[in-house]
Amino acid sequence: MQNKHTSPSVCFYFQVHQPYRLKDLRITDIGQMKPGEYFDQEKNRAIFRKVAEKCYFPTNKLLLELIEQYPDFRVAFSLSGVFIDQCHDFGPDVLESFKALAATGKVEFLAETYYHSLSALFSREEFCQQVERHVDMIEELFGVRPRIFRNTELVYSNEIAEVARLLGFRGILAEGADHLLSGRSPNVLYHPPSFELPREWQQTIAHHRIHSSTTRTIRTLLKNYRLSDDIAFRFSNKTWSGYPLTADTFAEWVRSSGGQSVNLFMDYETFGEHQWADTGIFEFLRALPAEFLKRGIALLTPSQVITRFGRKPCDVFDAHAIVSWADIERDLSAWRSNHLQEAALTGLYALEHAVRESEDPALLDTWRKLQTSDHFYYLSTKYWSDGDVHKYFSPYDSPYEAYRRFSHALEDLRLVLERFTPASRCKTEDGRRKK
Amino acid sequence: MLRLVARVREKQTDMSLHTLMFGWEYPPVHCGGLGVACQGIVRGLLHHGAKVTLVLPHDEASEEGATILSPGSLGGEIIIPVPTKLRPYDSWRAYAQRVTEGSEPVDQLYGENLGEEVERYTAVATELTKAVRPDVVHTHDWMTLEAGVRASRHHRMPLVAHVHATELDRTEFRPNAWIMKRELQGLMKADHIISVSGYTKNLLIREYGIPADKITVIHNGTFASEPLMRLDDDGGAHPLVLFLGRLTVQKGVTYFIRAAQSVHRLRPDVRFVVAGEGHLLSQLIQETFERGLSDCMIFAGRVTSEEARKLYSRADCFVMPSVSEPFGLVALEAITHGAPVVLSRQSGVAEVVHNAMLVDFWDTDKMADCILTVLREKPLRSEMRSQSKRILLNHTWYRQAGKILSIYSGLSSNS
Repeated sequence: MQNKHTSPSVCFYFQVHQPYRLKDLRITDIGQMKPGEYFDQEKNRAIFRKVAEKCYFPTNKLLLELIEQYPDFRVAFSLSGVFIDQCHDFGPDVLESFKALAATGKVEFLAETYYHSLSALFSREEFCQQVERHVDMIEELFGVRPRIFRNTELVYSNEIAEVARLLGFRGILAEGADHLLSGRSPNVLYHPPSFELPREWQQTIAHHRIHSSTTRTIRTLLKNYRLSDDIAFRFSNKTWSGYPLTADTFAEWVRSSGGQSVNLFMDYETFGEHQWADTGIFEFLRALPAEFLKRGIALLTPSQVITRFGRKPCDVFDAHAIVSWADIERDLSAWRSNHLQEAALTGLYALEHAVRESEDPALLDTWRKLQTSDHFYYLSTKYWSDGDVHKYFSPYDSPYEAYRRFSHALEDLRLVLERFTPASRCKTEDGRRKK
Repeated sequence: MLRLVARVREKQTDMSLHTLMFGWEYPPVHCGGLGVACQGIVRGLLHHGAKVTLVLPHDEASEEGATILSPGSLGGEIIIPVPTKLRPYDSWRAYAQRVTEGSEPVDQLYGENLGEEVERYTAVATELTKAVRPDVVHTHDWMTLEAGVRASRHHRMPLVAHVHATELDRTEFRPNAWIMKRELQGLMKADHIISVSGYTKNLLIREYGIPADKITVIHNGTFASEPLMRLDDDGGAHPLVLFLGRLTVQKGVTYFIRAAQSVHRLRPDVRFVVAGEGHLLSQLIQETFERGLSDCMIFAGRVTSEEARKLYSRADCFVMPSVSEPFGLVALEAITHGAPVVLSRQSGVAEVVHNAMLVDFWDTDKMADCILTVLREKPLRSEMRSQSKRILLNHTWYRQAGKILSIYSGLSSNS
């Protein structure tokens, strides 16, 4: 038995998200569609149900059992707004199983942008609106207003942390990127450098404040990417030196990793979807709490980590450039490094003013669904020729095919907005635009 | 002849591998990709220091560093018509007849005396190369296979059969039984097979029952290790969409015409060029007329390499709608000249040219949509072009020939 005081705790956070994938749109469809018709609801339903069967149901069930068995078991989730929307569309039963987890009181839900968007990089107003909407929805569904923020794909910078602080969040998650840590451990709390945002920005942010006051000192929790990726990416890799990974070994790695809290952040689909059931991932997860317990490793939510360690003096995590959790570069290059991505992103955000002017909820929702970061990830040509992970995660044939669909949707939206005049708005009673 | 044999023997003294290669077409006498690929492979092998003795049915080719043997060098000339010397004025009816009655495609593709010609080539070529001392025998496609089998037996050296196309590709899966049988027999006798794509490898496994481990995929290559600079990208007043290839069923040119009609409906400013010749020409002209495309469709006929380069450089979109394309060198040439490409999924080159829009050849609506998107979206064209350099760099003939050499070495050390 190890000395309890030397063992770090573990903080699990799982990202739950599904994008609205696009239909095989054609140029001849442009100008002929209703809002929302861009999306391939059949395919989205099929994927949602498949992932529900392989991941959401079995993993939620397992976590529920673990919570019953181990009273101190804790876990955190971030459910994107578009995921919740898909629950309403395709799987109220999935939402119920998350509610059952929430009812135990041992699960923390984090805040994010409703549409799992990159709006933090393009529009402060849009970003704040999406965060506000997400927080409201989470509170309505699970009864607790999130105090911790995680931005899409862990896209993080000093500026984003400052915005989160001004919105009233106690904590924010980020990637424990080596180049920013310079040899320091990711297993302790950090804080962003303090500086002042322009007054105009502050006003925008204040307008959307999530909690009654801003936070004095926001804390940054860093992902321990080595240990996280051992589970998320390497678990079933037979050429990996750590294969096969047992709960015993992993708990030992966690213990020897030291610090305050080992933050294991990953996509929830790791369980059963990215790592299939036959890899033994569920048995691994089931065995973990006992192995942690043996070594005095406590499981904490991000809020608990801040409560427990937040008063101790901590170091600055200085992210003057943006970091994310994607690819080996850990930057924005998965979404913003080629002509397709720039054209799609700038083209989309250029419509912001016109979309707001329309005051049409369906148009706004469609525009926002196109903001989901996955659309830009599918356009990545970074490793395209190598046929790697981007290919695995894309529903389309190629980045060029992804662009064909996206650019058609964008063209249609542009056309609709051009046609949209106050007069036509008066004639549509149900909020749907006139054709 | 004596002088030639002596020179060949002289070259036996050092240790480099000597390949005895049986080819069918070779620049300047060639009609399609086979000749170009053959030249690429020969030059690539020479670059690596291999010795090449190439046997051709004609004596108009020359290649510095390689020994070329042709029937002409025996004094007795034989004339073997190159595969696409077709009867162009017959072709429409012949095509219709074949489709409806299933008559033999061999007549259209190779002329009636092909069987005899191949037999003569085989006999002469085998005789011609008895004095050569190769380490390996390498054939290109079925016409040279039997010559290769005999030479391999005579010299007791391994046979490598290079498959650039199968009878199934050439005939839209209505093969001539005689040719397919010869193909199969030859391939079974080969010690190893090189296929120009994974697409072709799968076809050889599936349709010919050849064991997978006997086939290695070596994609065709290019001499251009980077794309050429291209200055204009606005399409001008009349954007140009290009088809370049033989006007045969295999190349899917009729699907190009159908897609052109859909493009034309939305973009009447677009011009289409069909470059190449073949037995479908009169039918295509008729179809163009019937679809109301006479004013925007140009039939350029057979083009020289220089003319082809100009067309590629001018094209705003290149389309390869092949029904079944073992490789498709034209796509590599198109990206070399900065033309964005729309490719048939039923092609081998799609395994290499990743910066392409892929479509099923029969899905002409989607083909049209891809063309229209390419023409509309400058970011798409820029991104496609920016990926070409890496693709070309990874597929030079020098690299590909290196892979062929390692197959030779593997076989030599086994034997």
